[in-house]
Order: sequence, then structure tokens, then C-alpha cells
Amino acid sequence: MAINLRPVDVALIGLGAANGVAVLPLARAGLRIAALEAGAWMKPGDFKPDEIRNNVRHQVTTGRKVAGEIPTFRTSPDEIARPAAQYHNMMNAVGGTSIHYYANHWRFSPWDFRARSETIRRYGADALPAGTTLEDWPLTYEDLEPFYDITEYEIGVSGKAGNLKGAIDPAGNVFEGPRQREYPMPPLRSTDFTELVTAAARSVGFHAHMSPAAINTREYGGRPGCVYHGYCDTGGCHIGAKNSTAVSTIPAAMKTKNLTIFEYAHVTRIVTDAHDRASGVLYIRDGKEYFQPAKAVLLGSYAYENSRLLLLSKSKAFPTGLANRHGQVGRHFITHWASRDRVALFPRDLNLWYGAMGQAIMVNDWADDNFDHAGLGFIGGAGMQVSHEIHPIAAASMPTFGKTPRTWGSAWKHFVHENASRWTGVFIQCNTLPYENTWLDLDFEVKDPLGDPVCRITSGAKDNERRAAAFVAAKAEAWLRAAGAIEVITPPGAGAPPKLSNHAAGGTRMGDNPETNVVDRWGFAHEVPNLGIVGASVMGTHGARNPTGTVQALAWRTADRLVKNWNSIAG
Amino acid sequence: MDDGTPTITRRTVLAGAAALLPISAIQAAPKPPATALSASARATLDAVISRLIPNDELGPGALELGAGNYIDTQLAGYLAAEKTAFLNGLEVLEAHAHTTHAVSFAQLTAEQQDAILISIEDKNFPPVKPFFARLQRLTMEGTFGDPFYGGNRALAGWDLIRYPGVRLAVAPEDQKFDHAPAPSHRSAYAAASGEMNHGH
Repeated sequence: MAINLRPVDVALIGLGAANGVAVLPLARAGLRIAALEAGAWMKPGDFKPDEIRNNVRHQVTTGRKVAGEIPTFRTSPDEIARPAAQYHNMMNAVGGTSIHYYANHWRFSPWDFRARSETIRRYGADALPAGTTLEDWPLTYEDLEPFYDITEYEIGVSGKAGNLKGAIDPAGNVFEGPRQREYPMPPLRSTDFTELVTAAARSVGFHAHMSPAAINTREYGGRPGCVYHGYCDTGGCHIGAKNSTAVSTIPAAMKTKNLTIFEYAHVTRIVTDAHDRASGVLYIRDGKEYFQPAKAVLLGSYAYENSRLLLLSKSKAFPTGLANRHGQVGRHFITHWASRDRVALFPRDLNLWYGAMGQAIMVNDWADDNFDHAGLGFIGGAGMQVSHEIHPIAAASMPTFGKTPRTWGSAWKHFVHENASRWTGVFIQCNTLPYENTWLDLDFEVKDPLGDPVCRITSGAKDNERRAAAFVAAKAEAWLRAAGAIEVITPPGAGAPPKLSNHAAGGTRMGDNPETNVVDRWGFAHEVPNLGIVGASVMGTHGARNPTGTVQALAWRTADRLVKNWNSIAG
Repeated sequence: MDDGTPTITRRTVLAGAAALLPISAIQAAPKPPATALSASARATLDAVISRLIPNDELGPGALELGAGNYIDTQLAGYLAAEKTAFLNGLEVLEAHAHTTHAVSFAQLTAEQQDAILISIEDKNFPPVKPFFARLQRLTMEGTFGDPFYGGNRALAGWDLIRYPGVRLAVAPEDQKFDHAPAPSHRSAYAAASGEMNHGH
């Protein structure tokens, strides 16, 4: 039998990139919070400039929950799902994925929120891709803007506004929606390389600017500016200059004394009462089972796990899983179409070893609806990005551009000696839509160590995104050639669908219609009004850039809704 | 700010209160690490990696850089789960050398060794192509990874590809074209103390 704990106001499932932000407005409002985190605190000494530890073995994590619940993957129901060999961003630690992410910190485009109606308005209903389950988001960019603003200031984001209350500045993203304030910090520093690719983009008519990043460029929030040592990617920051929730919003919430964090707490079920309300959370810690009663629950684990925990939390009232009476849990899943589709060799040392992945030049001309799609056969597009930061094993594993017959031997050794510092690529991130052929459910053939089925991913072809990626990759090639590349190739595997991305979204989609969406416009389950869900799982589309900025703005907004409507939601 | 370590340490300790739990997954081991391979299997491995990254006029190859030591010790440690499959691959390679040339793989000429590796890579014959790809990948890790793991001796693997090495802070001029800084010749695990690490 589970050990009953003292009731709290709010139980948080997971304390990562999403709940790590949601916790702050809750704590400041005086609510008593129990945060159940499957991992533990990490400290600066856990973060090393070590490619094997960070990028090869993915050891920047704590706890073992994640290792036991790797999803299985198939491309159609005709296949047997296999454990997905590809690394997933899932992570157990206080701060979660915000510890090891690149920290490219974006707002989505206003178009992302209204892609369906804008497509019909501009191109007609026939332009909607076949098989898509696309809906407009139940909120607009303007609705979310105040929450983008407050999270950017609480977390600490560096960048340059491209649209300040309608005033356009080409030093920033000219395509962004209007923002009420400048970024709290100036952008990461420019280098010879970022200046070269910026000028090259402009020479072929593109707009280019430094990516916004949740990385300090000066002292901010009591933490120092970035030292550009080059181990940001999949590693944590040894000086706390990268603004994970573990160094920003979570410590701020702890100062209120209203937050208690339970490390290594493995949540197994959400429990409901006779009135379809969440009554608390069951979890296992040190081999013992506990029941944490709460007046409200915020589910904020990784996208796969948000759907999985709902599907596992069955009851008489919810026989197919919690909040799943309409069969929507797991539906509208999106694996972000994102890959390095063009790679180039340069005739000089680019010296990209150091810096940060966030020290990236972005081109947004071919994303969203920033160009006329008439006759192109797809909607959306992709953001393009080239970055600093490459590590030695990855650098030496470079493609050989046909210049040596093999990737071993003396000729190859001479090749990498000369060229390991002379290549880069363009990372392409597509606007990605939900489809009927793409969903999450449970895999009863593969169990976690507790005997619960893992998440099964079914993700089929996406012709719209394939066409968009091919179109934008040609722009990437023009960009690289303008920058002086002597060889440009399409690396093996580029544009080869379907594959899984490190950006997983959907599964508990947000929308007004309870028959097609799991949570309402505020992030609370239509069928369980005191259960909020935060994270990319609520997103109905994936924008053409990194998701965390939007995830965090949405999380703050859901928490703010709970605080301001406490009696009606949780009373 | 050049070095905020004291600030962040103090802040994080306060924030984490008593809850801070170091994971310290990796500890420096003073005693020689265990190895996984028999002497003959190790000889086969060393012969293969000497062809993948040869010792030549550019400098030491994978063998001299300790990639064999990396693979041998990691197969007895972090990579123990793949030891059996790896040993099978080496045995197939060795048996193939005996069948075709009546000697060990290690006793073949460089040209004969290359011909076998090319046959594996291009024709999957003998049929150990996935093993060969894995061996090649581990050779890259042992040559270009941090010397902490037993390879990349004297940081010469990083010198080979002109990676200037681990630094805790990087100045703007160190990110300029054609002006990479002088090699730091530091392991990530020596960087904090500033001490030089010349391998094992």
C-alpha cells in the first residue's frame, strides 16, 4: 500500500524545462508545491568539456528512469515497433532538458498559431496537406506575447529584437511578431565566421541575424556571462551562464519556501476521484510507494511521457486512459522535421571549435509563410542555421566530399588533418504539422523495469515537410556557396523520411474542441479540470525553430491561469 | 566576466540546499584498468586500427595514440555489454586470415590487411560489416576523445586534426579565422587544476 503524504496545493510531475518555469508563479502566489522529479540536482562539477561523456554517451543526466523507458518506433502499423536507437532528449534531473539543450530560445511565428486559417485564406483549402489534422491554436501570438516576455526576462535570454512594437530592425529577426520589449541581454558575440555567413546571406538576398539564446552575454540573475568554451551541446554549463531552469526559475521559486523538491521520485500514476478530478499522484522512491494528495496537478514530463502517463492512468471512469474519452491522448504527435541537409567544405580554417551552438546565424526568409507558396506544393518552410561549436570526434568524422575513397587509411588521415577545421553545415528546421499517420500509444511488448508498457511511436511519411525541406535545402546550398564553400554535399540520410527528431511535440494537444484536443486553451484537461499539462506535448504545430521558448511561455501561462482562478479550478 | 565559478557554486549550493547529490559517474582510477581482450585478440585489434589510422609521416597512428587501449579497457567497463559481439567480430576476421593466407591477420602485409578490410566494407565479406563500422567508430573515440578514457595519448590525436584543446574560457581572438590558439594539451579532467596531462 502506498504511504499517504500530507496534502499540498499543487503536485508537479517533473521539474524540467516546462514545470521548472511553471513553478515560479505558483510559488510566488503562496501555493504549497511538491515537485516530483525522477532525477536529481546536478552541480557545476557534473558538467565537463568532454565529448565522450556529453555527446557519445549522453551522461549528463541523473536517475535511471529515462533509460528504462526508451520509446519504440515504427513508420506504420504494419511494422513491429523497434526500440528507437536514436538518442532522445529525455533527461532526468532538476532542470531537465533545459540543462543540456542548445539554448536557442525562440518565439514561434504568428503564422504558426493560425497556419490552418491563414493557409485557407491565402491559398485555399486545397493547399492543406493531405492527411493533416491541423487546427489553429486556440490562442494567437499576441495572446502568448506577454508570457514570452516574462519568461525571457525570468530565464534570461540574449538577442536583438527584429520587431519592437512594429519597428523593424534587420539586426534581429525581421519576420518575428511584435515584441513589447528588447531582449534582456544583447546577442552572443559575433566572430569572423558569423560575420562571413551573415554577409553571404545578405549577398543572396536573405535576412540573417544572430540567434536568440538563453545564454547570458553579461552578468544576469547573479550568474556570469558565457565564456564560449565550446561544450554547450548536450552538456551542462560549468559556470551557470546557460539559463536552465535549475539555475534560474527553480532557485527563485525555492526562495519563497513554498516549494519542496522530491528527487528520484518516479511517478507511476495520476489518481482521480469520483468527480473526474485529479486527487493526487502515486510515485515510487527508494523502493517505497507514496501517494501525494494535491488540489491540482501539473503534468510536465517529456512529450512521450506525458501521453504515456495519461494512458497508464486508467480507472473505471477513464477506462482507456486519463483524459482520453475521445481517444485523443497520443494523437497529433509531431516529430520535428529537422536535419543538417547541406554540408560544406571551405578553403580555410573556420575555427568553429569554440563558442556555443547558440552562437548561430539564422535565416528565416524561407520559413512559415514568409514567402509566396503558390504553386510550390507545400505550406510552411524551414528556418536555417549555421553554428559555432564542433567537438573533435565529430569533426574528424566529417564527410570526405569525395576527396578520399575511404574514411580510413593514410590518405584519409591527411585529409582530416587539413580539413577537420574547414567544414560546417546548415541545420534546417521545418514547420511541422500533425498527421493522421503519426501518433503515440503504449507498446505492450516492451516494458519498463516496473512492468509498465513503454511509449510506442508511429510516425509515417510527411510529403509536405519533405518538399519544404528540399526547397529550403537548395537555399542553404546557395547560402554556403555565397560564403565561399568549395564543396557542398547532401549528407547521407538527409531528407530521408521518416525519422525521429530530438524535438517531440503533441500528444496532448491544446484546443477548444474537446473531441479533438486533450487540453483547453489554458492547458487544463477538458475531462479533468484540475489537471494541467505543460511541455511541447500541448503544441498543435511545431514551428520552424527550436521549441523551448514557446514551451516555457505556455507553461508560465498555464500556471498563471491556475493562480488567478484557483477557487474555480482547484477549490 | 572571466570566471564566475565561485559565484555559481555558492548560488547553486544555496539553491539546492541539502538536496545536492553529486553523480560523480566517472572517478579517476589509480590502478590500471581491467582489459577485455586476450593477447591474440588484442593483436588482431591493434593490427586493424593500425590500418585505419596508420603511423605515417604525419605522426602517430591509432595504435600509438592508445585507441587499442581505449577499446580494450572500455570493453571491460562501460562497453562491456558489447564485448561478446566484438570478440566474435575479431574471431571472424582472424579465421578469415587463416583461411585465405594461413597466418594471423596481424602477420599479413599492410596491403593484404587493407584488401580484407576493403572487402568487408564494400562486399560484407567476411560478413562482419557492422562490426567493422563499430570498430572504426571506437577507433575514432579512442583517437580523438579525451585522454581520460585511455586513448589520445599526449593529446596527439587532437594535434592531428588541429583541435586546440579543452579550455575553460575562450577569448574573442581565439575564435578568429586562421588563428586558432596554441594547443592547451589538457584533459577535461585536468583542466580545472590547469595541470598538463600527457596520457597514460
